[in-house]
Amino acid sequence: MNATHLLKRLVGTLPLLLGVSLLLFGVLHLAPGGPLDVYADNPSVSPEALAQMRTAFGLDQPLPVQYVSWVTAFFTGEWGYSIRTARPVTQEIVERIGPTLILGGTAFVLSLLIALPLGIVSAVRRYSGIDYLITFLSFLGVSMPVFWLALMLQLLFAVQWRVLPSAGIQTIGSDSVLDLIHHLILPACILAFASVAGWSRYMRSSMVEVLGQDYVRTARAKGLTTGRVVIHHALRNALIPIITVVALDFATILSGAVITETIFAWPGIGRLFIESMNGRDYPVLMALMMAGSLALILSNLLADLAYAAVDPRIRYE
Amino acid sequence: MTRNTRTPHSASRNALRAAIASFILLGGMAAAQQRGGTLTVGLGYDIDTLNVYSTGFLGDVQAAVVEGLVAPDAKASYVPVLATQVPTVRNGGIKIAADGKSMVVTYRLRPGVKWSDGVPMTSADVKFTWETVKNPKFIAESKDGSEDIASIDTPNATTVVVNYKRVAPDFMSTLFTFGIFPKHTLEGKDLNTDTYNEKPLGTGPFMVKEFRRGQYVILERNPYYWRKDSKGVQLPYLDGMVFKIIPDSNTLVTQLRTGEVQMAYGVPYSQVTQLDGVPGLRIVKNSVLSWQHLDFNLKTIDAFKDPNVRKAFAYAINKSAISKALGGYPTPINTVVVPVFSYTNPAVPKYDYNLARAQQLLDAAGWKVGADGIRVKDGKRMSFKIMAQAGRSTDEDAEQVIIASLKQAGIELQPDNKSGVAFRDARYKGNYDLFYGGWITSADPTYSVFYGSKGVNNGQGYASGKIDTLLDRAESTLDPVQRTAALRDFQTELMTDLPSIPVTSNPSMIAITEKLGGFVPNPTNMTNFVNSSGWYLNK
Repeated sequence: MNATHLLKRLVGTLPLLLGVSLLLFGVLHLAPGGPLDVYADNPSVSPEALAQMRTAFGLDQPLPVQYVSWVTAFFTGEWGYSIRTARPVTQEIVERIGPTLILGGTAFVLSLLIALPLGIVSAVRRYSGIDYLITFLSFLGVSMPVFWLALMLQLLFAVQWRVLPSAGIQTIGSDSVLDLIHHLILPACILAFASVAGWSRYMRSSMVEVLGQDYVRTARAKGLTTGRVVIHHALRNALIPIITVVALDFATILSGAVITETIFAWPGIGRLFIESMNGRDYPVLMALMMAGSLALILSNLLADLAYAAVDPRIRYE
Repeated sequence: MTRNTRTPHSASRNALRAAIASFILLGGMAAAQQRGGTLTVGLGYDIDTLNVYSTGFLGDVQAAVVEGLVAPDAKASYVPVLATQVPTVRNGGIKIAADGKSMVVTYRLRPGVKWSDGVPMTSADVKFTWETVKNPKFIAESKDGSEDIASIDTPNATTVVVNYKRVAPDFMSTLFTFGIFPKHTLEGKDLNTDTYNEKPLGTGPFMVKEFRRGQYVILERNPYYWRKDSKGVQLPYLDGMVFKIIPDSNTLVTQLRTGEVQMAYGVPYSQVTQLDGVPGLRIVKNSVLSWQHLDFNLKTIDAFKDPNVRKAFAYAINKSAISKALGGYPTPINTVVVPVFSYTNPAVPKYDYNLARAQQLLDAAGWKVGADGIRVKDGKRMSFKIMAQAGRSTDEDAEQVIIASLKQAGIELQPDNKSGVAFRDARYKGNYDLFYGGWITSADPTYSVFYGSKGVNNGQGYASGKIDTLLDRAESTLDPVQRTAALRDFQTELMTDLPSIPVTSNPSMIAITEKLGGFVPNPTNMTNFVNSSGWYLNK
């Protein structure tokens, strides 16, 4: 892929994002309730106070007007203020993106490191004891609810054995990396577990298919060792479908892992999203969903680049 | 600790044990209160802002940092904090105008009180608080009471004279009770975006050292705190408090078990027994000012316009079965005024569980049992949708019992639960047939917001001239005798008309470390942390 093509692709995302923003804005405002309804729980909020707040936030304007003013502000980098906390939206997101990237990134790398070898072993040793074991474990992983697994591991590691903290990102007052890693182990492993289960299945089936190809038989006939055949001839060809699956999951890292973050009191994007959703905090929600959409578009682009890198036959003109 | 002989509801054995334990603890430890230690508290929600006037939650952290002129105590009656006494008509703190249409409230401030930065707190701060809250540019949810005030005079540094436009008996549950703003740091600032929202400056026992969003708030001792114990030791006893934000209730319980947090309130009933067995933890039952109720939609459902149908519903609901399904912690109630209040009326018409009576009433109202066991009248089946807040397991469990109870009487209910804003929207607008939920109030509840024909929380469309008159009388007098009489009559009238069936009063269960002494639960919206200066940790 050359630079012009890349540029074209990037420019092409703009109208896409604009369309996505219109859809998101519409859906969000169609959902029942509004940002000020959180105050309805409190009987001491007077209708006058609500009316005042509505004007202050511009919620009394007609929807198309609200959309146009939001969209122009958004694309000029002015993301506005959160209705819930009255802080700049960018600040809210920047604070939460770090923990999410640490957790999501660790789980992602961990999953790749485990899932690919597992899938390969499973394919090479097809219908052996180890293949059945891996298959069994991955079905377990796919079907086990994250929250249940999390509770069980908390119970074992934090309550029973007292070797790991049950939640949080750090011991209060401590900023050491070791402490962070200590807190990261449980949530990252749990988050990785489900991905490993899924990805290793894809890896296995893709590998099985490639291993049945003529050129693999030829390679074997030349007298190459199984290792060389698998790594040099089969793996590269088997990677294309994996890239697609992994790229889709990669985009979701940025959206945060809602359940895992909530259970482990991890201060990430997923929790910010849930809180903003519960409070119908439109500015934060829109920014988060736009960022998520952008991540998805970019990871698709990355996947395309990776295809070309893995398979020289794929070229973009 | 004084024993509350008024408490009419049966305390559970656990709570009783806890009460006795804390009684012994308080009595026995009087000599052993020691300074030092940090208490770690688990909070089940993500704090939006630390500004008491603009937060969407009850301010747990704020209550330990910011003080008001008065505050409600464990029995929901007001005690002086920054004021030297609670103004009343009798002590001359409240003077009602000759025409009976306005009033003047005078507060004498405690001399020598300092903000946690060492600057003295004066009457100017009180006046500044009113001006700030009233300012339309300040976006806040709790502006109540600020419009009732015409002007404030500050003749000297410790006297505040508040001139009210009307006789406002609920004046203490709002403005100056929430907290006072420091004029010297906030004057001329935009309070919507000021750093005050992250690090509020108060006169309370603690001050904010660090607030990490989504993670924790660290509080440390306010060196200038004004309160001293009986032996002259400067309070607070604790060096500090840490509030950890843990949104998942299961994780919160896990953290209590591992000792990572030492205190949490609102523990799910289903987990209480489990936690009670954990060494080093004790459970305290806090009878918060809330009541569970089943509301009829009187706007759109014709069947509910017949009072006998409403009464049949009440007779058919087995309140003690609901309490039992929730671990036995909720207390069945007969009126909407919770038993903590002195003006609760024990003589209201009662609807004890009586299935035969319910069936009689429905038969007489023309609802006959149909072929499928569900009653029918004029070709319409007695089948309704019942709404509760989705995800609130105590409410959803109670809803199941109600559905089963009413099935016995030939009434079919289908759950139509909603969550978050969708739920609140439906509740506001009355987009339900039946609604099961709970209301929580301040120490000075205004019942007209729920049952007045123009009440903001009256989504069910209830309108009664008698109720409006009685509530108007109760909410415009400062005479406790008149107020009690009006509120008692209101309860009798409401329970005769029965637009809403009071079901149970659900306590909040608090788990705390046995090491903590001096803790008394607070049932009001000012939270348990409203006076934490006397808490101490035994080594």
